[in-house]
Amino acid sequence: MTAAGRPAGFLTVLALQALSVAVVVGAWEAAVRGGLADPLFIPAPSAVARALVATGAEALPRLADTLFKTLLGYALAAGLGIAAGLAIGSRRLVHQVAMPYVVALYGIPKILVLPWIALTFGIGLGTAVLTGALFALFPIVLMIAAAARDVDPTLITVARSMGATRWQMARKVLLPAVLPSALAGMRVGMVFALLGVLLAEMFAGIRGMGFMMQRMALAFRAPELFAATAIVSALSIAVVLGLQHLDRRLGRWR
Amino acid sequence: MRSAGGQVFLWRAGVLVAGLALWEAVARPLNPVLYVAPSRLPAALARVLDVRELPALPGHVWLTVQEIAAAFALAVAAGLWLGFLLGLKPRVGRVYEPLLAALYAIPSVVWYPSLMLFFGLGPASKIAFGFLLGFFPIALAVLAGIRQVPAHLVTVAVSMGARPRTVFWKVALPAMSATLVGGLRAGLALSVVGVLVGEILGARSGLGYVINYAYGLLMTGEYVVLVVLVAAAVLLIDGLAALAEARVRRWAG
Repeated sequence: MTAAGRPAGFLTVLALQALSVAVVVGAWEAAVRGGLADPLFIPAPSAVARALVATGAEALPRLADTLFKTLLGYALAAGLGIAAGLAIGSRRLVHQVAMPYVVALYGIPKILVLPWIALTFGIGLGTAVLTGALFALFPIVLMIAAAARDVDPTLITVARSMGATRWQMARKVLLPAVLPSALAGMRVGMVFALLGVLLAEMFAGIRGMGFMMQRMALAFRAPELFAATAIVSALSIAVVLGLQHLDRRLGRWR
Repeated sequence: MRSAGGQVFLWRAGVLVAGLALWEAVARPLNPVLYVAPSRLPAALARVLDVRELPALPGHVWLTVQEIAAAFALAVAAGLWLGFLLGLKPRVGRVYEPLLAALYAIPSVVWYPSLMLFFGLGPASKIAFGFLLGFFPIALAVLAGIRQVPAHLVTVAVSMGARPRTVFWKVALPAMSATLVGGLRAGLALSVVGVLVGEILGARSGLGYVINYAYGLLMTGEYVVLVVLVAAAVLLIDGLAALAEARVRRWAG
């Protein structure tokens, strides 16, 4: 493909994507209107749009609430995860000893611990934030540990021979070297933190989008439920795209 | 002198023992309803197996296993189908793969309330959720795998008169098998998670329901036993999947 052909190809792809989404939405609307789908379970897109306008005022503060908890949980997981990841990844013996446990903890469904967290920390901020942090922690630890292990050993040797302290080593050598994969891990961590917070809200009835969605499902308010799902989906796609953009800019800066 | 491997093994065992000791030391002086010390687990296990207060376990375990099997089978079928459909037609794939990746970036749990509304509280909503979670990694692994097949090998095989079937089995599949099996393993793990999440968020039967039931009645000792057993079973399933993955990798060379 020629250089000139690439942007045009990109626009064509974008147009086809928009067209496909429009076709699906149109077919969906037609199916509901034509009586092929029961609007009690699958509301027409037009009904969802109306619900979006009607519940927007109620949903926005809840969305902000959920986002706030996600950021808290994420910050907690990132702080712990980066420290643990660097500690595990930068020493061979620690890596060998700790890795099976980290991988096992990563593999265990975190949902199993949710009842205990809810019982211990109550129906509030603590439970949601801790669940978000728990979901985000292990992917971050794994990514950082893998990145720290793969740091060019000559960098470390040179720094050590020049008399770098352990703290200097971590800050000046390891951290910049693991930054790219750290950012990728953080992106994954953010989605997991949001997942954990929504799950805690659904499970324990904590205010926020998760609780709102669960309540609407149980009340059979399908249009409002679909609208809330659309809002959360749009938010998380926006967050991921935003972090990807940040990645690319930091990559250029490096 | 001890070998390096033996030393690592000793350290690992030491970490496990230290972890259990720490758990015991922290849990013992605290509220026994919330903090279950490991020393109380054997008695709780006996109560779980004895089944007087808890719902009968075997039926619920069997239901959960069936739900996971159904969810994973559907995820494999749909994931392979859509993956090959999009992967073998690069023009179609260029349009729809980003849409698929965008959907995958959404925290999966947002779909669960809608599935619960549509399929109700019975096994169907759990199967649907397990399917949905398992489907994405499989479809995306097929797409990534197809991209790894070296085009010149396909060209050579075709020019030497290989039929499409032969090209698929002898050239394409070995080249993409490592990625594909990795995706299947991730899909299985996520199908298990999806079914468990569905059962814990709201169900009238299944393993997640029993866990929720024990917790709801503050039978926390039984709850911890069930969590440990389920976690061990999940790790066992993933371990078996990892063995299968290693075998396929060897076969593909």
